[in-house]
Amino acid sequence: MFEVVLNGLVLGGMYGLIALGLNLQYGIARMLNLSYGEFFTAGAFSSFFAVTLYHLNPMFGLLVSVPASFALNWLIYRFLLLPLIRRAPNQDALDGDVVLLTFGLLFVFQGLEQVYWGGNVRAYYYLSFSVDFLGARLPANRLVAFFAALVLGGLLILALHKTRIGTALRAIAIDPIAAGLTGINVLNLSALAYALGGAMVAISGALVSMFLASSASAGIVYTLKALIVIIVGGPGRMGGALAAGMLLGVAEQVGGYLVDPGLTLAINYSILILVLLIRPTGLFARG
Amino acid sequence: MAETSLTWRVLLVASLVTAVLAALPLWFSGYGVSSGIVYFANIALATAWALFSGPTRYISLATASFVGIGMYTLAFTQESVVLPVSLALAGIVGFVFAFIVGLSTLRLRGVYFVIFTFGLTELMRQLTSWYEINITNKLNRFITISVDAIAIYEMLLVLAVVSVVGSWYVSRTRLGYALRVIGEDETVARHTGINTTMVKVLVFAMAAAMMALVGGVYALRYPSIDPTVGFGNAWSFQVLIAALLGGPGRPWGPAIGAVLLVFVSDFIVGNFSQYFTIALGICFVVIVYFIPGGVAPRLEQVYRWIGDFPVRAGPPKTVTSPTSRPLPEATPASPATTNGSVSGPGATAALRRSRLHPFMRRITMSGPRLVERGDASPAAGAGLSVHSLRKAFGGLIAVRDISFDVPAGGITGLIGPNGSGKTTVLNLITGELPPDAGSIHFQGEEIIGLRSFEVCRARIARTFQLVRVLPGMTTRENVMLGRMFGSDPKKPAIAIREADALLERVGLSNRAHLVGSQLTYIDQKRVEFARALATRPQLLLLDEWLAGLNPTELQIGIELIRKTQREGITIVMVEHVMEAIRALCGHVIVMNAGMKIAEGTAAEVLSDPKVTQVYLGEEDAAA
Repeated sequence: MFEVVLNGLVLGGMYGLIALGLNLQYGIARMLNLSYGEFFTAGAFSSFFAVTLYHLNPMFGLLVSVPASFALNWLIYRFLLLPLIRRAPNQDALDGDVVLLTFGLLFVFQGLEQVYWGGNVRAYYYLSFSVDFLGARLPANRLVAFFAALVLGGLLILALHKTRIGTALRAIAIDPIAAGLTGINVLNLSALAYALGGAMVAISGALVSMFLASSASAGIVYTLKALIVIIVGGPGRMGGALAAGMLLGVAEQVGGYLVDPGLTLAINYSILILVLLIRPTGLFARG
Repeated sequence: MAETSLTWRVLLVASLVTAVLAALPLWFSGYGVSSGIVYFANIALATAWALFSGPTRYISLATASFVGIGMYTLAFTQESVVLPVSLALAGIVGFVFAFIVGLSTLRLRGVYFVIFTFGLTELMRQLTSWYEINITNKLNRFITISVDAIAIYEMLLVLAVVSVVGSWYVSRTRLGYALRVIGEDETVARHTGINTTMVKVLVFAMAAAMMALVGGVYALRYPSIDPTVGFGNAWSFQVLIAALLGGPGRPWGPAIGAVLLVFVSDFIVGNFSQYFTIALGICFVVIVYFIPGGVAPRLEQVYRWIGDFPVRAGPPKTVTSPTSRPLPEATPASPATTNGSVSGPGATAALRRSRLHPFMRRITMSGPRLVERGDASPAAGAGLSVHSLRKAFGGLIAVRDISFDVPAGGITGLIGPNGSGKTTVLNLITGELPPDAGSIHFQGEEIIGLRSFEVCRARIARTFQLVRVLPGMTTRENVMLGRMFGSDPKKPAIAIREADALLERVGLSNRAHLVGSQLTYIDQKRVEFARALATRPQLLLLDEWLAGLNPTELQIGIELIRKTQREGITIVMVEHVMEAIRALCGHVIVMNAGMKIAEGTAAEVLSDPKVTQVYLGEEDAAA
């Protein structure tokens, strides 16, 4: 049982990791980016190519994917989302437009990946041996991703709480209008948060690709996973995302162990629906 | 009359089109029939989707859930009952399922609702897969009834026509109107007597029943179904795109969108299958940037340019012909005639007069329970009586055990410095907030615990401190809605006449066709006043209605309030404009820090040292 919980925690760490970037994009910049997962698969593909084409360490893929994803997301915010923000009469209308636009982008990116990288499922081997961890045997690559999630999450929390820009971003997450009134350049910083989210998701894609196969059409799965984690944890809360990820991971593993492994996804969605009904602001949100 | 002839014209066109389409399979190849099936299914689904999501702006991704429920209901019942019963069951199960889901989730707004509906479909698919694999040991479920493709074609044609004509019809009824109001501003909807929860849940479930029916019929095409066919997200997305492409604000918009989408997808798949997803994505981007309202409004522009034809959705704008005799209620002085001591019976009689289906009346309109209770004791204290009312927000006690009486027929001023709890008192009276303790009696009846729409139906109307005119509706429509859903609801045709009378009274006749967002601040305030009167209140609560008016407008405003009071409507006004308070209020209550600190005539309270002290501060008051 302990091993099941530990497995759940490690799995949940991965969920938290996947959600960090979207939490910047949705929790702070308020853009529900449905094409998020496409940048995840792009990160995974870059590592795959680093390993298979150039025989490098998979993390070398990050050298390309992180700056590229950062830049592309910044451009998307600046040139595609900003006109919609300027045009929208209210948040509801903006949400609708953003959902549609990013849904379109999802198809465009997915299509491009399929055309240029093929529709095959891609995987490679890296650190694929088990190690002893607290008395349980766990795959090394999963452990690496788990600790990377903790480190990245911790760094983000520190940055958000200890720096001027971080404080401004938190203010934007709470109330963009009031933040603007205090002299914060909301649009520039939102663009930054959005682009940083893109960089984060490319990193998570590379890390997860060490142990999970990826394909061009898999992006939406990760977008949804990230979304569930964020809604459960409370938008904009980095710690909340990590905690919610682990909660979901443990619930999935324990539920699968006790009831039926076929029900893991059903358990995830049940938790999501329960949270939406009982506490739609998220389990770890303020107030 | 214009309205009737439009109805006949629409029905005539619809039946002609249906007849032609129904006859087509006589000449069609198998390919033609199967294309028709896809077209009709998408038309029916997109139109049903827009019936609810168009006016309310709730983006639902639950279409696949309902389609899947229809398919599985058919698959489960196909061997026990005949096909028509099986299909009817599909519709019923879809309706009941959506009704239950809607009751618990339609308070989620915006993105949360989108995510919820998406999660619902995923959950349904996972649970069905699990059930099929673990309980029946087979993922596929066979469809044993074999139905001719042409029969499926005809059935889906019927569903598509019913969907389009039905949603056109609903958009012209009070129910459709209520949905639009909810989409514009749910708070206003509640305060004009609309049972927002019931309206939303009912229409959501109606749309779901149609989707389940389509699912049931569509399942007949397949030799077997599995959870990815039934609960596949493609259904939800395709329908969403079709509706938005066409224009969800028009009854036939989604149908146009569905036809375009199916046509374009076929074309892309046929010619550039490798780039299908990219092209689909670009379609989305194009819709968002270049045709945000959908194709239908653009087509209407062209059509209007060619010839004038009343094509706008919603209640008809054409005033009924002059030959129809105006009803007594339509006169400007109407509130006075029914608001006297005989108001109760008058109201019930009017309810009986309005020829509406009793069920429709229950959900969209007056709560008979309330009216009848009022009838029982018409003489028992016609005013408002507040006793020991208390409301705290966390540690802040906004209203601290306040008690006061508002005499019937008079104008009572509720004044006090900013933050003294005046608006909170109004919110407690109108059911917007639940009080922590205390009681509020109106005409001898306890009104605490009534929801906002019930308070409105109990004949208490209000205006808002921050003006809430529905931006997407015309001035006239804004006022009409008070008459259509207030304490004595009327059909749109009657509501139009009365709305026009009220607009004349507040001096807005020449702006009846402007939409709310085009009005100046002052005119918006006038619209709110007229809308509140249109609900036929006996008690009118004005929240700083005179604030921000220039001296001339102030005089007009004061006259309007006075005239309203003379017609027998009791008024409570929260106000800072002392001139107006002196001129109008026979009775003034002064609040500070949630408590009542003085009460009496305007002259009495304004000379009270305690009052000058809270307004001016200790030193200035002493000076």
